[in-house]
Amino acid sequence: MSEIGKVRIRVPSSIKPGDVVQVRTLVIHPMERIERDAQGKIIPKTYNYIHKVVVTYLGKTIVTFDTTQSVSENPFFSFAFRATDPGPLKVEFLDTTGGRYEGTVDITFA
Amino acid sequence: MLGTLGALGVAAASGVLAAPRPARAQPLGLNESVDVAMKRVFAGRPIRDGESLIKLDIPLIAENGAVVPVSVRVDSPMTPTSYVKHIYIVADKNRIPVVTRVTLTPAAGQAFVGANIRLGETGPVHAIVEQSDGTLWRSTREVKVTVGGCGG
Repeated sequence: MSEIGKVRIRVPSSIKPGDVVQVRTLVIHPMERIERDAQGKIIPKTYNYIHKVVVTYLGKTIVTFDTTQSVSENPFFSFAFRATDPGPLKVEFLDTTGGRYEGTVDITFA
Repeated sequence: MLGTLGALGVAAASGVLAAPRPARAQPLGLNESVDVAMKRVFAGRPIRDGESLIKLDIPLIAENGAVVPVSVRVDSPMTPTSYVKHIYIVADKNRIPVVTRVTLTPAAGQAFVGANIRLGETGPVHAIVEQSDGTLWRSTREVKVTVGGCGG
């Protein structure tokens, strides 16, 4: 498995001002599942999984995902936003061990 | 709002689980039945049938429960006065039924989200949409799972 915390963001190659754009994003992360002992009891520990994804565009939060362990390993999300001005689109992934992984794409108009 | 969820979550969990877990680690998703989860998250508010409003796209047969692509699109305008505030994805048969809660703002321009989720076994998957005025809508699909993906 490749390194944890690698963020990928894909936006369409050509964006016009005012377009509603669909973005796909992914982070490499194990999203640990709940483990049980022989008696079927849940082993209490801090499971390492992404619990929050924050998308900011031009400094404003536009979409937030609160996620649980029911999300797949290497979580993939897509969302839409309205591209009004050129500027950075940032996606931050936060995990339960305090890890913070972020990726940025610059939105430019063709 | 998240704080409230977390506090309620701990109260609900303490009855079910022998070992308490830190609230920070499990703010939204708890190991609970779907009935408990719905009561905790939506506090018994009525949920209307939104099959015509919500486009829930998920395969009918998921060969690999570990990765099931799901997307939700709501035909609703996204204006500052009326917009889709939350989209919840709930899988009834998962040990952690609440998969994700998406918080949208009018700047999103379109109420669309997608994610790859885990499904433990065959069962219904719901997309529940909360609009800015608090109305709840639900759309449901039955998904057959060949190999479960939740483990724990």
